[in-house]
Parts: sequence; structure tokens; C-alpha cells
Amino acid sequence: MRNLLDFLYKYHHWLVFVLLEVVSVVLLFKYNSYQNSVWFTSANAVAGKVYEMESKVTSYMAMAELNEQLTLRNIYQERQLDQLRRLYAEVTKDTTAAEREELAFLSNYQLIPAKVVENSIHKAENLITIDKGRKDGVEPDMGVACGNGVVGVVYLVSDHYSVVISALNAASSRISCSIRNRGYFGYLHWYGGDPSVAYVEDVPRHAKFNLGEWMVTSGFSSIFPSGVQVGKIEQVYNSSDGLSYKLKVRLSTDFGNLRDVVVISDKSIAERAALMQAARDSISYKQRQ
Amino acid sequence: MFVALLLAQVLILNHVHLLGVGTPLLYVYFAITFRRNFPKWLVLVSCFLLGLLIDVFSNTPGLAASTMTLVALAQTYLIDLVAPRDSAEDLEASAKVLGLSKFVTLSALLTLLYCLVFFALEAFNFFDVLLWLARSVISFVLTMVLILAVESVRSR
Repeated sequence: MRNLLDFLYKYHHWLVFVLLEVVSVVLLFKYNSYQNSVWFTSANAVAGKVYEMESKVTSYMAMAELNEQLTLRNIYQERQLDQLRRLYAEVTKDTTAAEREELAFLSNYQLIPAKVVENSIHKAENLITIDKGRKDGVEPDMGVACGNGVVGVVYLVSDHYSVVISALNAASSRISCSIRNRGYFGYLHWYGGDPSVAYVEDVPRHAKFNLGEWMVTSGFSSIFPSGVQVGKIEQVYNSSDGLSYKLKVRLSTDFGNLRDVVVISDKSIAERAALMQAARDSISYKQRQ
Repeated sequence: MFVALLLAQVLILNHVHLLGVGTPLLYVYFAITFRRNFPKWLVLVSCFLLGLLIDVFSNTPGLAASTMTLVALAQTYLIDLVAPRDSAEDLEASAKVLGLSKFVTLSALLTLLYCLVFFALEAFNFFDVLLWLARSVISFVLTMVLILAVESVRSR
């Protein structure tokens, strides 16, 4: 007993070492299933505040360029809208129907503007912190987009901040997207490295499309509404099993220069998710019988 | 120094990506400078805490914490190895007391260990040997340059 105590006393720092390592390794590996705790991420109040102060200082520097980009895109979209309205009116002979439907469509979605307070692009698993949280109506699994395209999906939420899984997250980001006006869909996957290039997998072999066409969100994932810009198709490869295409996509979002984003809250999502869950449950119930 | 290193790391150094891969990890300096025969558990716990706080700010729970704890343990033994034979029991780990070459040896070994383990853990399920080595080596060089710069200012 005495010897044991002596031994413990002499090597107590090894015990401390093992204890601390166990704690940190648990943190390291448990994080992905750590849905309920925001204490160890930059969504906690102190870290959020520090990053918010920092981004207030730095946001002025990128302001001019961002404004220019947004204005350009605004003009482009206004022209596009105008053209579509005209076409629609020509087809239906009804000049107000388009507006009516547009309003009905938009009323389904609530957009929560937010500022990025922390962002990274050089890791394999990039996360973004934004300055809106539960009190502003942000919930996990809501989509996040910016003026130029998709950004990611909300992952953890605290009262005033949220952590977003960036589309540039090799381990956890799979955004369902489709080819604009053609409908074939696949999953956006990023492999690390260049932050402006990602890949869309599982596009069927019979899909017809051209290089340079736009990928947009499909609206199947119940996170993003359909039609949010993702990027341009740059190259086509065969998937490793040869059963589908893999498209190299140049992302339209500039992740290195991200300030203003919107969180997209879709009121019908909860209903759709509940229905999907019910369907899955009934299938697994049948299989068990 | 704890707070200064933490803020310097999360506000400035975490944004540095030399060649897209290298990030200086100056907070290792905190682990290097402990005196000889400083209570070992205290070295371990304080390094763990600094690592944990860095993790909190950079969304990598456990990553810096585990590596900092490992380096802290290594430091408490390495300092015995590099210390001159008849030196004081509570020898200070600084360039002034140890001499430049011994200090460089000590900090280079610890920093290299840190970079290798840190980037290996970070890339755990995504392992690419070349990328790992590139990140470790470039970060190692950057960190060493910063450590020596800070040390030369402090020892004046």
C-alpha cells in the first residue's frame, strides 16, 4: 500500500497527463455527435463576442468590392426577372399571375440576414460562425446562402450565434443540387484543397447537359429551396464505379470573402421532415415484421 | 502571457495561410518556457487549458488541447536533457539562460513534435501524407521564426 502511494505520488503527473488526454480525445471524436453542446465551439458567447468585434473592424476593408458584386448581381437578376415576366405574360396572357405566384412562393420562406463572424477555408472540415442564433429564429438544419450562392447548413445554435457547416466541409457537407432547367440531380461534395472547386456526384449517365451550365440547389434536401445558385459545371468525369457522372463545379460563392449571408427558414420543412420520418418508420416497421 | 498568446493566435495567426498550407502556431511557446522542476501537473493543466481555449475559438474541440498536453509532458523531460550539468534546479527555459543553441534545440524539437501531431490529428479521417508533411514543415518553420523573434525581444 505504502509503495503504491509512493508510486502514485512520484508519477502523479502521468496520471494527470492520461486524464487530460482522455478528455481531449473524447472531445475530438465525440464532437460530431455533440449536437447539444455549443460550449466548446465558437458559438459560445465569449468567443462569439470576440469574433464579432474582430469582424466589425475587418468588414470595412472588403466593403467596396462586395458592394460592387452585389450591385452587379442585382442588375443581372432584375433583367432576368423582367424577361421571365414578359415571357410568362406572353404565354398565359395574364400579366399579374406571375407576381401573385412569386409572392405565394416567397411567403413560404423567411430570410434571416446575418453576418459571418468567423470563417475558414483551409482546413479539411471548415465551419462558419454567424451572429444570429436561436433568439433570432435560427434552428439547426436551416440552409445558409449569400448573394452569390449557397454557403452551408446550420449545425449548432446558441442564443445569439450559430455554427454553420460550410459547403467546404469534406466530412459532413452534402448539399443536394441539380442542373438548372434540366432537373438531373446529385450531391455536392468537396474534397479539400482549392476552395473554389467542388464535385457533384451521382449524376445519372443518361443526363444531358453542357459544360458551363449552372448547378442550383434541387430543393429535395428540404434545407434549401430549389434554384439557389451553386456553381458552373467545368468538367465531367466518370465516377469510380462507372455508374454515374462526377461533375467538377466552379463554386459561385467566394468563401474566402464572406460577410453577409442569409439563413433560409422554410416553414414547410418541419412538416416535410415529419412526413419523411413517418415514411421511414413505417418501412422499417414492415421490414421487421 | 496566456491571454496574449491566445488572442494573438485566434485574431491574427489563425488567418495566416502561407502557400495555403502553413499556419504559425505560436502558442506552443507557452509550453516551451516553463522552468525546470515547475510542478509537472501544473504545466500539463495550464497547457491543456490554453489548447482547449484555442480549440473553442477555432472550432476544433480537443485538437489543440490533446497536442498541447502531449507537448507539455515532453517539455518537462526535454528540459532535463538540454540543461547543462551543473545548472540551477529551477533553470529558466530562455535563450538568455540556456544559450541560443540549446534553446533552439529545445524549442525546435517541441515545435516539430507539436506540428506533426497536430496536423496528423487534424487530418485524421482524411489522410494525405504529402499534405500532412507540407503543412507540418511550413507551419514548423513559421512558428520557429516567431518563437525566436518573441524570445529575442523578451530576453533583451
